[in-house]
Amino acid sequence: MKRLALLGALCAATTAQAAQDTGALVRFVTCPVYRDTDAGRKSGCWLADDRDTGQRWDVTESPYKPDWNFAVLVEGRPSANAAQPCGSPALDPVRTSRLDIPCTRHMIPAEGFPGRRYTLPRRNIGPLSVARPVPPGPYVARTFPVYFEFDKDFLVYQYDDWLIDNAVTWIRAARPKKLVVTGYAATAPETVSGVKLAERPEVAKERAETIAETMRRLVPGLAVETKWKTAAKPTDDPEADGLPWQSQRRAEIRAVF
Amino acid sequence: MHLLPQKSFVVPLAALILAVSGGARGGETPDRWWAPGEGRVLPAALDYANENGTLRTLTVGGPLDTAGHPFFEPLGKDGRACVTCHQPADAMSLSAASAQRQWDRTDGKDPLFAAYDGSNCPTLPQDKRESHSLLLDRGLIRIERPWPTKSFNGKPVKPDFTIEVVRDPNGCNSGPQYGPQAGKISVYRRPRPVANMKYLLAVGFPFDPKQGYALPLDPDDGKPQSGNLMADNRAGNLRIQMEDAANTHLQMLKALTAAQRQQLQDFELRVFTAMQVTNGGGAVDSGGAKAGPARLRDSEPGALGSIGEPVWSEFKGWEKMPADEAAMLTPEQLAFRQSVARGARVFREKMFLITDTAGINSRIGFGNPVRNSCVFCHNMSQMGNDVAPGQVDLGTTTLPFADPWQDLPLFRVTCTGRPHPHYGKVIYTYDPGFGLTSGKCADVGKITLQSMRGLSARAPYFSNGLAKDLRGVVDYYERRYSIGYSEQEKQDLVNLMSAL
Repeated sequence: MKRLALLGALCAATTAQAAQDTGALVRFVTCPVYRDTDAGRKSGCWLADDRDTGQRWDVTESPYKPDWNFAVLVEGRPSANAAQPCGSPALDPVRTSRLDIPCTRHMIPAEGFPGRRYTLPRRNIGPLSVARPVPPGPYVARTFPVYFEFDKDFLVYQYDDWLIDNAVTWIRAARPKKLVVTGYAATAPETVSGVKLAERPEVAKERAETIAETMRRLVPGLAVETKWKTAAKPTDDPEADGLPWQSQRRAEIRAVF
Repeated sequence: MHLLPQKSFVVPLAALILAVSGGARGGETPDRWWAPGEGRVLPAALDYANENGTLRTLTVGGPLDTAGHPFFEPLGKDGRACVTCHQPADAMSLSAASAQRQWDRTDGKDPLFAAYDGSNCPTLPQDKRESHSLLLDRGLIRIERPWPTKSFNGKPVKPDFTIEVVRDPNGCNSGPQYGPQAGKISVYRRPRPVANMKYLLAVGFPFDPKQGYALPLDPDDGKPQSGNLMADNRAGNLRIQMEDAANTHLQMLKALTAAQRQQLQDFELRVFTAMQVTNGGGAVDSGGAKAGPARLRDSEPGALGSIGEPVWSEFKGWEKMPADEAAMLTPEQLAFRQSVARGARVFREKMFLITDTAGINSRIGFGNPVRNSCVFCHNMSQMGNDVAPGQVDLGTTTLPFADPWQDLPLFRVTCTGRPHPHYGKVIYTYDPGFGLTSGKCADVGKITLQSMRGLSARAPYFSNGLAKDLRGVVDYYERRYSIGYSEQEKQDLVNLMSAL
């Protein structure tokens, strides 16, 4: 009981701190910590310490999870939900990007924290056997963004596949003349937690070509052009979850009639 | 007592009589080995005994007269047929025990032991047993892959790694004719079962989350490919697979004709195999269990167990049998059935940390580590293969996770671009697997998950035969992931796998 009471007090204290931070964007580089909670499949917790503030954040809700052997770039916003199932205030929305900076792997025990029971995220696609509803028109020129990890062109599972599946469903119904895929890279250097970060200019082209190849496979026969741009600027697309850095790291699928 | 097969009687009675009268049900007349060109009739239902029970192979629309059929006739200069390495008694694969039996019966003259790939290397003296040790001891066939990799899915590939030979115990990766310098890399792999094919071809979702693309399209029909046919995913459809096999394993000098390809494909899609009766617990479709080959034949393929029928829930009926049915079993039979049912739950529910495994912990984004169970990858209802293309590196072929083998070649792979997400810049491997197809360093060591059906008939296991029996499979996973299985859980898993 004593242990539970102590945990409760700790939770209350850290929750209050987190509430003060709600709304403020955070961004830092750190080595991730895995908390070995067990509430079933995929229920482990990912924690990340902001070295500048000393705050430990729960970053588990990132669609792309950390690798305990490498540093992560954390970008997020303190969650409006005060619950701390992983023992730290959560960032949500949040993104973690694996960086090529080695870390000493570190796992801590659950220490009484339950972790989160896995539930399918909102952005998940149904099997092919499930028919997609035909989206309503008007079928006029439209742009569909797709988002990436820092400096990567890899489609993020249960994020990009959902965005693309929705786009493809619309494109199949709208039957545009062609698609123009534009890849963007956030090439302007920034220093985060003492680490100078800038995406490679060539990742813009890689993103365009990855998405173009995927579209050729999903909508065969439709012409697909590629373009790429550096020095990406943030957008206000809601599927970037209000994270400006995420919105920069994108490709756009433009349906042209 | 009700241990005899029930659903099996949906096959035509005449066909069943034919199978039984043919002596295949545990008998040896005709022999359990199907030699090329025998012209036997393949019954609609064919049973073969193995150490754990009875395997049943169903041929939809059977019986099939094999005379003149390209799967059963020798097509190349070595006198081999497809059936040589895809034997009905071995769940349409080939067990090491069958290879040993054929060696002993023919003094090594069976076409199975053809120099090209039925020996450790064609340069070795072919009349000596030790020249065929990999096939005889571990059921391994030599696979010759081109180097450098030239194309994948019809697209040019420039490998982002170099490969050197550290050790070449068999001589097939060095010298003037073999090895990377000669444009050929020899790896050694188990033949995969040619059965239950609709499951291996099934596509569940439009994306390959392990590769980060939509699924590639079949060059023949334009439909998405499952990516689950071959160990290294070098063939995305049955046509490419059979042409690859005809040119290499059969040493055909001519191309397969369109008619032969059609016959082969038609046959491969009609064959279903699985255990029908277990020695320990009787028929797998009795007492509330719903397993066996007929269920495979009649079910829709490609369903994800986590959102549909849970994987191996076919045995749920054995968890708690009605008292009147249980009373008809011996205590040993009841205990075995309960063990199989527990094994199914352990398979689905025993969580452990999966670490440093490309295809799971990278690049898909699940995180490294990630907590899950066997069904994380073995997720297709009824079959236990991966609904998504199943290229995963369990470490079975790659150091430091692979067991030490003195008789396999060892390669040093050096990534020239980004390092491998878990091994780093330099990788030591017995078989680069999917990396030899995609040309990507990140894919080195990945081997496609395969069907889990008919395991009792086709030891040893894993692509390089590292597990000599089912317990060896469980023990490998325990070593690799420190799962913490209890002795009971290990036995339950073994019993489950023996009944699939």
